[in-house]
Amino acid sequence: MKNLLLPIVLLFSLVSCHDLEEYVDNPEGNFEALWTILDEHYCFFSQKEIDWDEVHDRYARRIAPGMNREELFIVCADMLNELRDGHVNLSASFNTSYYREWWSAYPQNFNLRVIEDRYFNYNYRQTSGMMYGFLSDNIGYLYYPTFSQTVGEGNLDNVLYFLSSARGLIIDVRDNGGGSLTNVETFVSRFITEPTVVGYISHKTGPGHDDFSEPRAITYRPAAAGRIRWGKPVVVLANRSTFSAANNFVSVMKNLPGVKVAGATTGGGSGMPYSSELPCGWGVRFSACSILDARRESTESGVEPSEGCEAEITPADMAAGRDPILEKAISLLSE
Amino acid sequence: MSRLTILLLTLLFPAVVLTARDTDSGEKPLRPVFAAYTVEYGTSHLADTYLTPLKYDGWHTGLDYVRYQAMGFSPDRWTMSLHGNLSVDRTDNPARNATMWSAMLSLEWGMMHRWRPVKGLTLALGGSTGIEAGALYSSRNGNNPASAKGAWTVNLTGYAAFRCSVGRLPVTLMYRPTLPVTGIFFAPDYGELYYEIYLGDHDGLVHAAWWGNRFELDNLLTADLHFGSTSLRLGYSGKIYSSEVNHIVTHRFTHALSIGVSGEWLSVNPRKGISSTARIINAIY
Repeated sequence: MKNLLLPIVLLFSLVSCHDLEEYVDNPEGNFEALWTILDEHYCFFSQKEIDWDEVHDRYARRIAPGMNREELFIVCADMLNELRDGHVNLSASFNTSYYREWWSAYPQNFNLRVIEDRYFNYNYRQTSGMMYGFLSDNIGYLYYPTFSQTVGEGNLDNVLYFLSSARGLIIDVRDNGGGSLTNVETFVSRFITEPTVVGYISHKTGPGHDDFSEPRAITYRPAAAGRIRWGKPVVVLANRSTFSAANNFVSVMKNLPGVKVAGATTGGGSGMPYSSELPCGWGVRFSACSILDARRESTESGVEPSEGCEAEITPADMAAGRDPILEKAISLLSE
Repeated sequence: MSRLTILLLTLLFPAVVLTARDTDSGEKPLRPVFAAYTVEYGTSHLADTYLTPLKYDGWHTGLDYVRYQAMGFSPDRWTMSLHGNLSVDRTDNPARNATMWSAMLSLEWGMMHRWRPVKGLTLALGGSTGIEAGALYSSRNGNNPASAKGAWTVNLTGYAAFRCSVGRLPVTLMYRPTLPVTGIFFAPDYGELYYEIYLGDHDGLVHAAWWGNRFELDNLLTADLHFGSTSLRLGYSGKIYSSEVNHIVTHRFTHALSIGVSGEWLSVNPRKGISSTARIINAIY
């Protein structure tokens, strides 16, 4: 019997190794769960030089056993704002927290109504979420407001064919808050002629702040034979509200030959978001995988315009119904 | 069992066919197939830290098929088994505002040596190999909505079968555990998104399994109530699964009651019939 006992004890001791850390559904338990989830999975602590332990101590002092859910939410949301990341949200049934300073601290330099009115006189075409048409001086213009809207290959064929006589193309992704990276690939595939390394991706390999995999190349392939590809000059318009997948699109396009980025520095958001939850049922979303550009540089804090292509819109421009960023792009393509 | 019954059963269960390999002497033993079809329903406890740090609980349901047959090379001593299971679990988080689903399909084939230490009791011990595939899905997650599961395992298995009667009703009680010992299984890296796998990063997805990183134990306890040529099968199915790899912990514990039919089927060639001297070797006893 003793001979049997040892293997059985060993067996169950091995299984008991697969322990799960458990948190209690009270203010302390939820706070600790949130802090730990970020501590083990968030991918920009070192890059942003955030002392997460110090953050814990500072915010833990604001946790009290008797606080209600609204009060707890405020403390937790404030703690998450320390990450300075637009991809970090805390979601409860009564509120969703956002870090808004990545765009609210910058001027609003896009007004679609100005473009529709002054530059198109409301004479433009729309398909698959895209607005497009010809500007003066035979410049093609394509406005794409969100990468959440799936782009059909047939739609892109029609758009690019319609604009094919233009001398150059403006792709406007200002105020584009992102969406799916597969839509980025669909777009970019029309502007490359061979498999192209457009960036690198690295994920966490463990709970340590610097546990990362070796960056792996992301390669996009050109659109399939028979699809229309664009070989003429391109100017991509961006502003601070160009975020996440749109930020990625700008970083990819900027490194392609014949493409310039005009406007303002994008909003960043280069971390792929990952989801988790707290014992009280609140959801939390945060950056977990870092995407680098083709030069292996992080774009978490944004992509700058190409050299000499910076442009802004002043309140006076807004009042006059002018878009100097768009006009900068027109002048670049008219040179 | 009349020949007419045998023929009817053969027509009803054409997939479960035993080829009676008659020889000139007609002395080859007949090896009927024992098969059981059951549905199961019970409780499920799921956890997967790739999706959430919380434990979910809810219901478990599944379809189960098991088949035994004495082996041709040594039918008195060896039996083989085939076991398939399709299960679906639906569980909720502690706050009851998120759902996690599990869908798993498993298929296992094994062979066991039999002993009959006392009258009415048969013990069997052997090995099996099986594949398992499925996924856990969290309805609230964005880029990490699912945790795919896949494994090929080599298992220890066996059973204890005891024939008795309740009143005048013959009953067969059977307990069968299956314990994977080694194999390989799939797991993404700690923070790796499936988007990266889609991009072609396939490094480190397959892991060698041992009890330290993957423990699984299936327990199947059944009672076959032999009302006639077809039996009523009642049972309990308990499954324990626990793994930890790349700092990702997965638990899947289910307890279920099962009900179904079982029986022994024999397929014969109507033109040849069954030899009056043929010996029939039961698949289980």
